Amino acid sequence: MAVDAGAALAPVQPRSKSKGGGGLWRYILVRLVLIIPTVFILVTTVFFLMRITGDPITAALGGRLPADQLAQRIHEAGYDRPLIVQYGDYLAGILHGDFGTTITDRRPVTAILLQYGSATLELAIYALIVALIISIPLGLIAAYRRDRWQDATLRVMAILAYATPIFFAGLLLKLVFSVWLGWLPVSGRGNTRTELLMSGIDTPTGLYLLDAIRLGNGPAIADVLQHAILPAVALGLLTAGVFLRLIRTNVIGTLGQQYVTSGRSRGVSEYRLLTKHAYRPALIPIITVMGMQIALLLAGAVLTETTFEWKGIGFMLAEYLKSRDFVAVQGIVVMIAVVVAVTNFIVDIVAAFIDPRVRY
Amino acid sequence: MKISRGRLGLAIGALSVAAVVLSGCATSTGGSDEGSSSGGGDLIVGTTDKVVSLDPAGSYDNGSFVVMNQVYPFLLNSKYGDATVSPDIAESAEFTSPTEYTVKLKKGLKFANGHELTSSDVKFTFDRMVKINDPNGPASLLGNLASVAAPDDTTVVFTLKNGNDQTWPLILSSPAAPIVDEEVFSPDAVTPDADIVKGDAFAGQYTIDSYKLNELISYKPNKDYQGNLGPAQNTGIQAKYYADASNLKLAIGNGDIDVAFRSLSATDVESLKGNSKVKIVDGPGGEIRYIVFNFDTMPFGAKTAEADPAKALAVRQAMADLIDRNAVAKDVYKDTYSPLYSFVADGMPGATTVLKDMYGDGNGGPDQAKAEKVLKDAGITAPVTLNLQYNGDHYGPSSGDEYAAYKTQLEKGGLFKVNLQQTEWVQYSKDRSADVYPMYQLGWFPDFSDPDNYLAPFFMKDNFLANHYDNPAVNDAIVQEQTETDQAKRLEEIGQIQEMVAKDLSTLPILQGKQVAVVGKNVQGTTLDASFKFRYAPLKK
Repeated sequence: MAVDAGAALAPVQPRSKSKGGGGLWRYILVRLVLIIPTVFILVTTVFFLMRITGDPITAALGGRLPADQLAQRIHEAGYDRPLIVQYGDYLAGILHGDFGTTITDRRPVTAILLQYGSATLELAIYALIVALIISIPLGLIAAYRRDRWQDATLRVMAILAYATPIFFAGLLLKLVFSVWLGWLPVSGRGNTRTELLMSGIDTPTGLYLLDAIRLGNGPAIADVLQHAILPAVALGLLTAGVFLRLIRTNVIGTLGQQYVTSGRSRGVSEYRLLTKHAYRPALIPIITVMGMQIALLLAGAVLTETTFEWKGIGFMLAEYLKSRDFVAVQGIVVMIAVVVAVTNFIVDIVAAFIDPRVRY
Repeated sequence: MKISRGRLGLAIGALSVAAVVLSGCATSTGGSDEGSSSGGGDLIVGTTDKVVSLDPAGSYDNGSFVVMNQVYPFLLNSKYGDATVSPDIAESAEFTSPTEYTVKLKKGLKFANGHELTSSDVKFTFDRMVKINDPNGPASLLGNLASVAAPDDTTVVFTLKNGNDQTWPLILSSPAAPIVDEEVFSPDAVTPDADIVKGDAFAGQYTIDSYKLNELISYKPNKDYQGNLGPAQNTGIQAKYYADASNLKLAIGNGDIDVAFRSLSATDVESLKGNSKVKIVDGPGGEIRYIVFNFDTMPFGAKTAEADPAKALAVRQAMADLIDRNAVAKDVYKDTYSPLYSFVADGMPGATTVLKDMYGDGNGGPDQAKAEKVLKDAGITAPVTLNLQYNGDHYGPSSGDEYAAYKTQLEKGGLFKVNLQQTEWVQYSKDRSADVYPMYQLGWFPDFSDPDNYLAPFFMKDNFLANHYDNPAVNDAIVQEQTETDQAKRLEEIGQIQEMVAKDLSTLPILQGKQVAVVGKNVQGTTLDASFKFRYAPLKK
């Protein structure tokens, strides 16, 4: 998913105030209610798509068992029941907060979400930090040097960053920095010692950096950060490209505002104009887009985590897909759908509060 | 929105304070001397295998069985370098009547948690396995078990449905037979891994002191192990789980881990041969690859328009004459597979070279003239069209190259025209037993290390291949060898069965996978034998 940087500069629409003063609350309610069909459609799609690809019992035992025994196992597991019955059972389970137990390793789906969700969250945070570190200064430079070679170069780089397939960027980074140069680890969230330390923590948060800080273990902190660099850069570049173009566009817009011209005429330095007066107002759309980037980050996390064996939700999703574990895949997808929907809901609400151009 | 520099500073400051405060909030019991550089004989083993469950009743896969081999005791087990079984925690084990197999346990056996290991635990182990009968478990291996009795603390009597079952001792060392603690495991449900680890319910060579499913398992030697395999030669093992073979290759190549076992690709192994930090260790593997012929739908099969059993046999024999196993093993699999000329895997008791003797040039190579003669004598006009199926997502991407090589070999002299087709695994599994494929690729990994496991499942009437092969003489001979108590005579019978099935050629064995481990230059004790059990205990550096 790419976000149109130009969207932030869409014509300002007049806010349609509700006469009764309940406009904002109605807006919030509508947004909240819209989450339900979004998640429902996704759950339904995933449920039926997974069933089309075959059952996990045939996948595991198809080469060993006679057809009748295979059919018996499938029958015992209930996979030969009408799809609509299975679907009804599944929906009923979800409504009761029961996402089921995975077929392949018998773990409650909720436990998987909790255990691996924190790894994905940690990666997403790192990626967001990388994206901001890269995009803010480069976006400012591109805006300041508008239509010059620096701007052109940075714009091409931005396009490359979000157009490059994330697995390709990941493999390339790994090849250069892990294999050729040997500077950074190939995969994982920590070396064996760190992993052992983490598994021995009494009340882990699942965020390795935070847990390492809590332990006060310097080498573990360094190791965790080392392991995070390449996955964070691979995933962060994707978002950085979007942010860079957005910052450039918005800063160009604010640089042309009257108050900036006035500041310049009063002798305010170009640096200060750029980093204070023009840059800060341009940040508002970034905050809005940042929320929407959560979906992009989660989608990217599947590929990044798989490439770097970063054992988060995305990694597990890919693993369970390979073994056709219906229950696990459905549970993870529902969780991702809820996270994306809720995040977008929050972003919409925040935007409605802080941006007068938002209509409700 | 205005974010002042002061607020930013405040936020950073707050985070710093939080970090400092939090640093005093956690404790860890994990961690020891570091990873690959861990001294004191600790080793790191990397694998792409996956653990399904630590409960023997709930898993029947290589990844889980590797763990079980380290932490659970067996009544009988194979010693290092030996495919045959002998008492492990048993003192003796023998048939005391045709349907009774009596095992005497050693005295004073204990689990690592201090619980006594008695015949009651053994009875519990087998009773629960049968009762739970989990779809993912190996309960089917206990199909011949009628009941288990524990007349005293050290005696276990297995009553079998069919007498003199010569595979029974092997089954006692199989995935169906790790002995578990009745005070920790559930009698009627698969026990969660966390409960097993927490209960320290281990009596094998190792205990588990840290467990993170399919990420990391930390093993420590079990000082209470009293089996015949002896104590571990190292001070501990950390098993690290990789999802991607290329990451495993990079890890062993960089020296991040000490051992990489299962499953590096042929090209990875080939490229690691040039790495001065590692050495390659291989041994016989139990996995075989073969072509299955459907007797109904293959050319001249029973349900084709030109049905003729003699011609169908001639087609199979001519194919056997033309296949060049050596070339495929070398060129496609870089010698990580070896040519297989026997129905029983090489390295196992009863393995022969019957297919080398009977087909091709007699030395394992192809023989075009012989193949031409077979077809001509049967009255077949070349070329015969063969629709040959294979699968790339289950048997690996090299299957494409492998079957392309067979196509070239079979078509070279103009006797055959081969149409290769590939199908996704789940559909393939359904189609193969529904008479859709006239001939197709399949692989097999034995349930236990006995030659019968390479015969009965394939050549008995109503075998799992469902390829309509039925030879009553073969059927009778297999039943006979399964109950033959004289081992020398049994092996002779197994040889005779292979000659019979080599003449019929309902399957054509082609390749046998090697067990391959890549280990650091300083690692010793890697043992890959025909027991097909990879044990951590002999490893040291």
